[in-house]
Amino acid sequence: MEEAFDITEETREGISTVSVVGEIDIATAPTLREILESTIDRGVEVVVVDLLGVTFIDSTALGVLIGALKRCNEAGGSMRIAVSDQRVLKVFEITGLTDLFSIFPTLEEAVQG
Amino acid sequence: MSDVVDLSLPAGADLLVLARLTAATVASRAGFDVEEIEDLRLAVDELCVSLLHEGADGRLNLAFTRDGTLVEVSCTFQPASSSNGTGGESEAVQGLSAQILDALVDEHGRETVAGDDRAWLRKRRSRQED
Repeated sequence: MEEAFDITEETREGISTVSVVGEIDIATAPTLREILESTIDRGVEVVVVDLLGVTFIDSTALGVLIGALKRCNEAGGSMRIAVSDQRVLKVFEITGLTDLFSIFPTLEEAVQG
Repeated sequence: MSDVVDLSLPAGADLLVLARLTAATVASRAGFDVEEIEDLRLAVDELCVSLLHEGADGRLNLAFTRDGTLVEVSCTFQPASSSNGTGGESEAVQGLSAQILDALVDEHGRETVAGDDRAWLRKRRSRQED
């Protein structure tokens, strides 16, 4: 059975990591948006979105991530994404968003940039 | 002979998981491989999303038709009488949704039937029978 949706945020040394587990869809994307916006609005330099535990993602989730990236850039920060699940990566590839986002296969690499 | 599975859900977004689960089951019964099943799961989700927006009130009525190696899914949104109807997500998200459907299914489309918005898709199993 798929893991239930959960989201946590941790800030350490100027880097905020937002970790998501489960499925991000039209039901759960608003929660992700809320957390990302409040994190970005605190003025952190780097936001790492950890999607390593995500098993499903759709266009609403992508819309939230695009919005967050724009917000982050406008605030002078940067955003990186950690993804390893092939099902999730495929959605980024299909939509050409691998060119827009900085995507890393591990959390460590995403944090280091 | 084709099999038809009907699913009716309240349009509250937290039950879309049921539409995805039904898509996966129908695809599996049609002999789709693992990747094709995942593709259909996502495609059905996008079909529903294309008819909904946050806070949409009403019912989603899906029909899954399996005919040999072909699966057809149609989704109709019936807004509640007090609802302001469909609007879909933002244009950017709708564009992404269309891109995803283009990549994952053989055909897809949208029409208005008796005043209700209907979205549909068709996907054929790629593996041929021996």
